[in-house]
Amino acid sequence: MIFREVEDRDLIAKTRKGHVDAYNVLVSRWEKRVFNYLLRLVGNREDALDLSQDVFLKAYQNLKKLEDPAKFAGWLFRIAHNEAFSLLRKNRPEGEIAGELKSGESSGRMFPIELNLAVQSALGRLSDDQREAVLLKVYQGFKFEEMAEILSCPVSTVKSRLYTALDLLKQTLAPVNTGGTE
Amino acid sequence: MNCSSVDLKAYFLGESARTEKSSVEDHIRACESCREELERLRLTDAALRSLIEEEAPQRIAFVSDKVFEPRWYETIWRSGPAMGFASAVLLAGAILVHGFARDAAPVTAPIVNTAQIEQTVQREVNARLDSAVAQAVSATEAQQTERMASLLDAAEKRFEAKRQDDMAVVQQAAKVYEERTARLLVAVNDRETPAQ
Repeated sequence: MIFREVEDRDLIAKTRKGHVDAYNVLVSRWEKRVFNYLLRLVGNREDALDLSQDVFLKAYQNLKKLEDPAKFAGWLFRIAHNEAFSLLRKNRPEGEIAGELKSGESSGRMFPIELNLAVQSALGRLSDDQREAVLLKVYQGFKFEEMAEILSCPVSTVKSRLYTALDLLKQTLAPVNTGGTE
Repeated sequence: MNCSSVDLKAYFLGESARTEKSSVEDHIRACESCREELERLRLTDAALRSLIEEEAPQRIAFVSDKVFEPRWYETIWRSGPAMGFASAVLLAGAILVHGFARDAAPVTAPIVNTAQIEQTVQREVNARLDSAVAQAVSATEAQQTERMASLLDAAEKRFEAKRQDDMAVVQQAAKVYEERTARLLVAVNDRETPAQ
């Protein structure tokens, strides 16, 4: 008897044979992670949902091009990264410094807890590249090499973005304790 | 090892090589400022992870399109694994019956067709995978239906609460209006009484 969990690669194989239901199961496994990654990157719920739909549609259309099903996560996030930055570039004229996330979206409506607001605000002060590095590492758990593939840049660039972001976040979220105030 | 040569962030993020890890740990034990730095990284990470993950406001799902559906001959071709599994079961049964029914024969080395066995196993795996995927699909659909029902229920409750609030406001407004009308009537009567 052979018992094992249905893995992503099984669903990918079924999808490649034309089974949309199998793809929908795959989507249901990943949609929350992709949606939250995009939401925190673009800072707008409607945009994040539209982008998520585009990401999964593109993934479906290009699934046959995925050579190694074991690399599905990185491949999917690479599509998400491209879609998100395409929107960010369109919305932000070239040269404009990445600002905070839109205040309406980082309001108490999204994250009612005070700490959540502080985190959201701190993330919003990072550049898009730095924020994305944090999202991929801290929230999605990718390795440096995987991040480099997703972002199409050297590992040294990934580390530089992430380390700078962590230093900036640390100043807000874990200030140096100098007698109770900083 | 001094502080500048220690990649504390890589260590904290679980990206240090195994050999590097123990020397970083030795350094941390001896260096107070690196311990503090590590603690700050832990606090930052804990704060970041406190962010609540949101559910997507709308489920993403795709419907089957004729363009993507398999052709009739593909469907028949793909039913092979299931038929193969059935054949394998029949074959196994026949071998078993034959084994019991026939007379004892001189023992000879069994002819093992490994390729056939592999094929049979592969067919069985495929059949089981098909069944498991079908189960996963139905489980996901059931979850979505349940989620939709709960969302509808919550929306109905919200709507009812809003309706109650609106009714209360309307009743309050009507009461104020009645009171004002009553006061106006009294004032009019008071004005008319001296004239009479």
